[in-house]
Amino acid sequence: MIAFGSSITNPDIYRDCARRGITTVAEPDSEVLALRSIGSIFASYNLLLEQAAAHDDLEALVLLHQDAEIVGAGFCDTVRRVLADPEVGVIGCVGAIGIRSIAWWDGSVAQASFLHRYPEHGGGDLPAFSWTWDEAPPYARVGEVDSVDGFVIVLSPWVVRNIRFDESLGQLHGYDFDFCLQVREAGYKVVTADFKAVHSHSLMPFVDPESWVQAHIAVAEKWDGRMPGVGNATGTWLERARRGEAMRDAALLVDHANELLLEAQLRELERALEAMQNSISWRITRPLRQIRDVREAFRARPNWRRFRTGAQTGTTTR
Amino acid sequence: MIAFGISIPDPDPYLEYAKPGIELVSEPDSLVLAFSSVGTAGRSLNLLLDAAATHDDLEALVLVHTFTQLDDPSFCAAVRRAFADPNVAVAGCAGASGVRSLAWWEGRTSVGDVILRYIDHGGGELPAYPWLEPAPPPQVVDTIDGCVMVLSPWATRNVRFDEALRFGHGHDLDYCLQVRAAGRTVTTIDTRVIIHRSLDPIEDWDTWLEAHVQLAAKWEGRAPWEPLELGDERTRARRAEAQAEAARSVSYARRLAIDAHVAELQRTVDEAAGSLSWRATRPLREINQLRRAQQARRPEPPGRRSTL
Repeated sequence: MIAFGSSITNPDIYRDCARRGITTVAEPDSEVLALRSIGSIFASYNLLLEQAAAHDDLEALVLLHQDAEIVGAGFCDTVRRVLADPEVGVIGCVGAIGIRSIAWWDGSVAQASFLHRYPEHGGGDLPAFSWTWDEAPPYARVGEVDSVDGFVIVLSPWVVRNIRFDESLGQLHGYDFDFCLQVREAGYKVVTADFKAVHSHSLMPFVDPESWVQAHIAVAEKWDGRMPGVGNATGTWLERARRGEAMRDAALLVDHANELLLEAQLRELERALEAMQNSISWRITRPLRQIRDVREAFRARPNWRRFRTGAQTGTTTR
Repeated sequence: MIAFGISIPDPDPYLEYAKPGIELVSEPDSLVLAFSSVGTAGRSLNLLLDAAATHDDLEALVLVHTFTQLDDPSFCAAVRRAFADPNVAVAGCAGASGVRSLAWWEGRTSVGDVILRYIDHGGGELPAYPWLEPAPPPQVVDTIDGCVMVLSPWATRNVRFDEALRFGHGHDLDYCLQVRAAGRTVTTIDTRVIIHRSLDPIEDWDTWLEAHVQLAAKWEGRAPWEPLELGDERTRARRAEAQAEAARSVSYARRLAIDAHVAELQRTVDEAAGSLSWRATRPLREINQLRRAQQARRPEPPGRRSTL
């Protein structure tokens, strides 16, 4: 039996996304574990693991975010085919190799069979590079990876019964990467497989960078020396600090420049629209409104204040 | 006498941007030192300082980047107001205090009327630092943006750019920190400046990163560089690496969002432009364009200053 589990903070989102996908791909005997969140995603997912582990006929547990919708036929067949390899512990549809931190997307991404559906500015879809295999780049492939994106993960029965999410790491960020590292440390494979999902969430990866930063540090401290490449880098600590600060400031400057770029592009479009307005004014009303909406929306910035002040809310020791 | 100094790696931007600006703001007795650049930025600028320092009547030396256009006819008056305080050694159009790195704009900023004139996306003008919430000039700061650096006679004769800073970034910050360490004041002035460059702020990020590291290695632990107070080196490294990836992730996401929405707006424009009525009125638009072109060829009214 293939079970499905979700931790729910918003029943409407669950109904419109995760539940809809489960209804499409589940089999008649599938167990659906719809759990109201009990706090962190680590704790909620551990409770789902306990519930699934109690089923003697468990073939796999599919954990998916409430805003993730599995799409396409043959999902359960794919899961069974991949899990026929007894060394496979975790399956996803997005994964990478060479990952050194919870920013798995900074690794060499091997598969990204998902579509990012965002709600801002009237909504839109951003298909990732292997959403359509016919258009995928040459490096796109299924197979073994370092980690998968946790928005949809499929776990083998052994993993369900023997590995737990590390609740000491925080509330949300890094749970998937840490879990995959545990599975690999236990000698099992993390792989991607040919299935797809739609992930409906904001364009911004996180609201408060500080909680993500703390998770990044916690995972690096946990795995440095235990898993090659994770948490370590060349140079002394001082050299790493200075290099990291330089890269941080460079990234912030790129982000600042995003505002210039957006404004320049909007002005270019405005000029085109204003030229048209002289002839067919009634047509440009809607696009001009859209431009104003986009400009307003991008005035909301992440909270970088703590970066600037150098405030430290956590410590790392060894 | 207020002198102007320019280090010129490429004559074209000097002729197009810096030179017209200097001609606009300079006085009849102003000295213009236009030297070809040599070696590092520091070495080139020091040549200008050496030449200016020989003039006994020097009131100020204005170092202008070739892509910078001074655009305020009362610029010299603003300089004299700033240097009325004998402790002021450096003045500029934008700067910050509380600086902890090459990224001075992450400090507490003060910015005058600084404009970015770009040629990307059809060209246009924007405020050069729209993401800042700066205090209006004049403000005492730790450093200024090197697009325009105004040096007092004392600074011209006693402080030199560090020629060991070889990456082409940070010589301005380093100079200001030297001045501050000597007990002198750096200030912003209220003036209008046009910076001509691409929307992409840095051409070569690798050298910018190296310059950032080199400057930190030189100034950490020395006043007036703000102490970091981030614990031991391991803690600092972990935090910096995490912040770098957080910032990269957010920046990438916001760029994706921009691309998505601009593409959507472009489609809307294209649909409207492709409509029947838009196509039907094309001859009228062409007539209007012709009329505007003819008007543009007419002589300018006397006394009207031409712009780029």
